[in-house]
Amino acid sequence: MDTRTAGPLLELNKAVPSFEESGLPPVPFSMKLMPGDCMVVETRSSSRATMFADLCCGLVPLDAGVVKFMGLDWSDLHDREMNALRGRIGRITRRPSWPEFLNTHLAITLQQLHHTTRPMDEVVAEAARLAEWFGLPGLPVLPPSRLSDSDLLRAACVRAFIGHPRLLLLEDPLEASPVELQNPFLSAITDARDKGAGVIWLVRNNAIWQGYRQGITSMWRLADDGLVEVRTA
Amino acid sequence: MSGSNEPRSPGGERDPILEADASTHPQHRQKFVLHEWVREKLAWTGRLTRRQIRFFLIMLGASWGVIFESFRSHSWRRTVRYEFGTTLNSVIGGGLIATMFAGTLTGVAAVSQTIYWLGLAGMAKMTGTILIDVVIREIAPILVGILLLGRNGMLSVTELGLLTTGGEIRSMQAQGLDPFLLLVMPRTLAFTVGGFTLGILFSFAALVTGYIISRMSGVVTNPVWTFLYDVITAMSHADYLVIPLKFITVGFVVGLGGCLTGLTATNEDNLRTLLPRGFSRGMLIVMAVSVLFSLDL
Repeated sequence: MDTRTAGPLLELNKAVPSFEESGLPPVPFSMKLMPGDCMVVETRSSSRATMFADLCCGLVPLDAGVVKFMGLDWSDLHDREMNALRGRIGRITRRPSWPEFLNTHLAITLQQLHHTTRPMDEVVAEAARLAEWFGLPGLPVLPPSRLSDSDLLRAACVRAFIGHPRLLLLEDPLEASPVELQNPFLSAITDARDKGAGVIWLVRNNAIWQGYRQGITSMWRLADDGLVEVRTA
Repeated sequence: MSGSNEPRSPGGERDPILEADASTHPQHRQKFVLHEWVREKLAWTGRLTRRQIRFFLIMLGASWGVIFESFRSHSWRRTVRYEFGTTLNSVIGGGLIATMFAGTLTGVAAVSQTIYWLGLAGMAKMTGTILIDVVIREIAPILVGILLLGRNGMLSVTELGLLTTGGEIRSMQAQGLDPFLLLVMPRTLAFTVGGFTLGILFSFAALVTGYIISRMSGVVTNPVWTFLYDVITAMSHADYLVIPLKFITVGFVVGLGGCLTGLTATNEDNLRTLLPRGFSRGMLIVMAVSVLFSLDL
């Protein structure tokens, strides 16, 4: 599997998502995300935001068009290749994502342990560093159900940013989050972009991303008529 | 408990509140039409048949998938090895005492009685053959299968069913974590190893307990080594293959059936529908394997 290192990181080219599978409007979606870009997508519906993130991950079947990540068309790949590619995506989702049979530290590091051969100590050290960065006292080892909502949100941030992902799909963690999470979160985004990651930040409220206004490269709106670019000036 | 106090299943076919409401509105009463009733029953039978055949085909495909993937070195990533180890520990470590206890009870109830009655009938030379054919080959796999199903199989059904209906499985897929590779394959193989281990331990516990009881009651005077030697010499060449294969297969299908029942749960499912389905499928699978291996073998 040869990934492309130049050109768009993520490309939606007249991609028409299956309405039955996703609930997304069956209209062509087109956009490009370059490495280092940060794109804000405003959508009122959190389920629609999740489905759009799924679309970018190649989890939503298409009626027409293509979705490419790192130059590879999701529909041309086999399961193994798709899973390997998804291992390079960091994601914060509103969908339940904490399996109860794994303690939080394992759930955080699971993606890295599965997709890479990095030594366990290195992965744990990075997770612990990120956990402290996002305001946790250390890497949480309790079952997810015993963590508070705000701690679980911080843990979700750790899980998304660990391992220098190439693409970040962030379903607005700042909404209803503690105020002190904002700065670490924005710094982590900047740091990831400096290392070449592309960021898609899905928000419900315009006020959320105003603190990062200078860093936003494009602003889009996801509504019944599809994905529409909005002028930010 | 009176019938009126029994909990109702949500979405069940007979809802007394809706029925009472309908009875107050005579215009909603439907006229009984025979051919409509027959059509409904036929449709129900068809749905049931299709669902069962679908699950059987999924089982066949997934069985091949587990075997095929287990021979690929890339499949055994550290997360998969971790899941295998955890499940193995749960199956064998957690089920050891229950299995030994069940084996002991079988020894008291079946083995010692067999030794006693065969001795009384002057057929003591057949003891080994009958113990192998009845206790080790027929009873042990079924009881071990039921123990596996009850202790760990139902746990897999519940865990994976809740993960599927809750959306966590979809989230795992979004991270590139294949639930088949990460959960189904290691768990099924752990059940397979567990089935064999617990089956052998069960058989050993049953035979030794049966011997001890018989020795204490004076029915047997031989040392335990002679008794075990008699049992082993009563085994045919096929038994050396069929008995371990039966334990292995029972573990394999109970593990796979539990995982697949959980993973094929739909949004309409909850614990009330998942658990009975998982248990009935598991029992059916265990009995089917037992019967399959008893055919002219």
